[in-house]
Amino acid sequence: MDAILQAAVNGLVAGAILALPAIGFTAMFAVLRFPNFAVAAFATLGAYGGWMANAWLGWPVVAALLAAFVLAGAAGAVTQRVALDALRPAGPLTVAIAAIAANVILENVLRFAFGNDLLGFDLPLARDVRFGSLRIGPQQIENLILAVAVMAALFAFLAFTRIGKAMRATADNPDLARLKGIEPRRVELLAVFVGAGLCGAGGMLLGLDTSIDPLTGFRIVLSVFAAAVVGGLGSIPGAVAGALLIGLAEELATLAIAPTYKSAIGFVAILLTLSLRPRGLLGERAY
Amino acid sequence: MTGWANYLVFIVATGGFYALLALSLNLIWGGAGMVNLGLAGFFALGAYASALLTVNAGAPILAGIAGALVVGAIGGYVVTMSTTRLRGDYLAIVTLGFAETIRLVANNEIWLTRGSDGISGIPGPLKAELGGWFNAAYALGTLAIVALVWFALRRIDLSPYGRALRAVREDEQVAQVAGKRILRFKIEAFAISAAIAALAGALYGHFNSYVAPDIFQPLITIYIFLAVAAGGVGRVSGAVAGAYLVIFFLESTRFAAAAIPGLAPVQHAAIREMLIGLALIVVLRWRPQGILPERIPPAPRPQSQEAT
Amino acid sequence: MSLLAVEGLRGGYVAADEIVRGASLSVEEGEIVSLIGPNGAGKSTLLKLVAGLLRPSGGRVVLQDRQIAGLPATAIGRLGLSFVPQERNVFAAMTVRENLEMGAYLEPAQARTRIEALFARFPMLADKRRALARTLSGGQRQILAMAMALMTSPRLLLLDEPSAGLSPKAAEELFATIVALNRDGVAILMVEQNALEALTISVRAYVLVVGQVAREGPAAALMADPSVRDLFLGG
Repeated sequence: MDAILQAAVNGLVAGAILALPAIGFTAMFAVLRFPNFAVAAFATLGAYGGWMANAWLGWPVVAALLAAFVLAGAAGAVTQRVALDALRPAGPLTVAIAAIAANVILENVLRFAFGNDLLGFDLPLARDVRFGSLRIGPQQIENLILAVAVMAALFAFLAFTRIGKAMRATADNPDLARLKGIEPRRVELLAVFVGAGLCGAGGMLLGLDTSIDPLTGFRIVLSVFAAAVVGGLGSIPGAVAGALLIGLAEELATLAIAPTYKSAIGFVAILLTLSLRPRGLLGERAY
Repeated sequence: MTGWANYLVFIVATGGFYALLALSLNLIWGGAGMVNLGLAGFFALGAYASALLTVNAGAPILAGIAGALVVGAIGGYVVTMSTTRLRGDYLAIVTLGFAETIRLVANNEIWLTRGSDGISGIPGPLKAELGGWFNAAYALGTLAIVALVWFALRRIDLSPYGRALRAVREDEQVAQVAGKRILRFKIEAFAISAAIAALAGALYGHFNSYVAPDIFQPLITIYIFLAVAAGGVGRVSGAVAGAYLVIFFLESTRFAAAAIPGLAPVQHAAIREMLIGLALIVVLRWRPQGILPERIPPAPRPQSQEAT
Repeated sequence: MSLLAVEGLRGGYVAADEIVRGASLSVEEGEIVSLIGPNGAGKSTLLKLVAGLLRPSGGRVVLQDRQIAGLPATAIGRLGLSFVPQERNVFAAMTVRENLEMGAYLEPAQARTRIEALFARFPMLADKRRALARTLSGGQRQILAMAMALMTSPRLLLLDEPSAGLSPKAAEELFATIVALNRDGVAILMVEQNALEALTISVRAYVLVVGQVAREGPAAALMADPSVRDLFLGG
């Protein structure tokens, strides 16, 4: 029982962090209508950006998180403009393939600069907090708070700002949005910036209590896709729900199967969702 | 044989495996407009299937290869079954996940796959009889199989079946109206394609006598996309030419990166991978027709159709 | 001088395939004008050409002295012409209020006062301001779409088959709303399948056949014309 509760707590924290890149992936899909497979590199890039701000410049975690967001977001926007935009007339699959190529390039830029070694954040050591038999690391709590804060900021941006609403409008009905004078290219670029930025913030949070290396983002990418598909590709609330579900399922599964199989849970979840309810929990049609 | 001759044989054989993978991808990407981002997974699946059958179960090599074909086809069927009715994006995600899951299983089911140690001592056909000539003979045999698969795919390409597949690619919506038969076409094409990729894996294993999870990096999938895009999506001969072009490119980047002084080995590797990613984007961008463009001009496709 | 004057307009979805083949019509200040005709005559295409959603391949479109043919839809929108598409004409996943805000995306400064005015004008929208547009009924959705178009304070409203898919009762209410809007001073050019209803509320009408104006005249006269009756009004 305790083990289950502990796994559930770990799963919720992991799910909240996973939600950031999952939202990023699904938001980019909602506006640009192709799966941006470079999310792994965006997450890794954010992790390194945050690490540089923290370890080199001595920035505190919140400021470093902002750096992670901006660096990954900028990389996403530049990738979109330089490499992907020109391919869009060839169809979404061609763009998706190019995004994988972009992922390889970005990942190797980091490998070139930092090597394959593990890097750790410069954080004060702290003892786990105990609630009865539950153990929670202070870093886990901080990560959870940060992830929730980033999501809250995103929801406020989408709900209350003019450009945020324009983004939702474009995702909802691009033709009507254009008719109403919403410039699609601006909105698309912003969506990529925010989406890739969220991946970056998620990547840094992942690395905070462990370490980072050029494959930090790659390791979670299947879970990110699973969260987005389970929640319904293109739905932001869906991505949050999907991420929490996948986070929980992965941690609970470790009670029964080897922890190394965690990411296979994501694959199974994708297959199940697509077979039973392709539009996911909260998504639109998938045909 | 001298070092250079050995190197050449190695290049010819590896190019042959890549050519099979490229033919596999071309059948579905060029043929039906589907993508398989988990090509490396099917490659691994075939390699492991044949290796396990021959090493663990003591089956003859031909039986191992046949087993790889069957397992590959089943894998392809499983992957497409749940997504053929959906947009292509979903198949892309599922195939990516498939390759990762295959790698996980290969790494972790140690009782079966010996984990990251890999399986060694995979038998090669007539290895004792051929002695020092084994590699060269095997490379030639691989080329013969490439030719055979090429011939079979050209036959398919020109058959009514191939035309039906192209119809699926050119106008998914019209094809969808045609209904269930098209779904079956797509699943069949994907299963055949997956079996060819598995065949490449099996041949690889019997050539190198060793397979391990790390051999089947996702980067291989990128190589093959580069090969098919460079050769011209939809061109059977282009796929084979593209595979050798990619091998040539990969080897040149090896020498070029090594020629840059003052870099660590990891930086050399990073530069090579960057060049490969860059090459794919460049080819997709500026040579959408490839070096040997498809003779049948593709029908103009309105963008809205792609977007739905 | 006419509010809108269309002369010899040509164009379609692709340059090679002209659906509208030299159509001419006009709308005066404060009029309701209907465009009727058989399926495939090019009625909706004509509206889209006028609104700038499609690029005309020939002809002139003059809105209050200004030649607007070839301008993008948003530029035409700023000159006082609002187009209401037939389908997918609201943001389904956004609230009624947000939809109205998006209606005046280019004029955010005026949005608040105009929304209040529209809420006063359409109490139904005020009641449902926080409801998602996808939860509205077909008739309510159509009213929201028109209200969004009114957010830019247009002189002329282009309606593409506003009653399509509505129940007879909802369609009747909608036509009443259109008449009321027109009394407030907005001129209306609409395409309608429901020709009898459309002619009943219109001042004048045009019959479009194969991309050209085949008949035109006062709505009452067209309604009385036996050939028009036979063709579109069900005898």
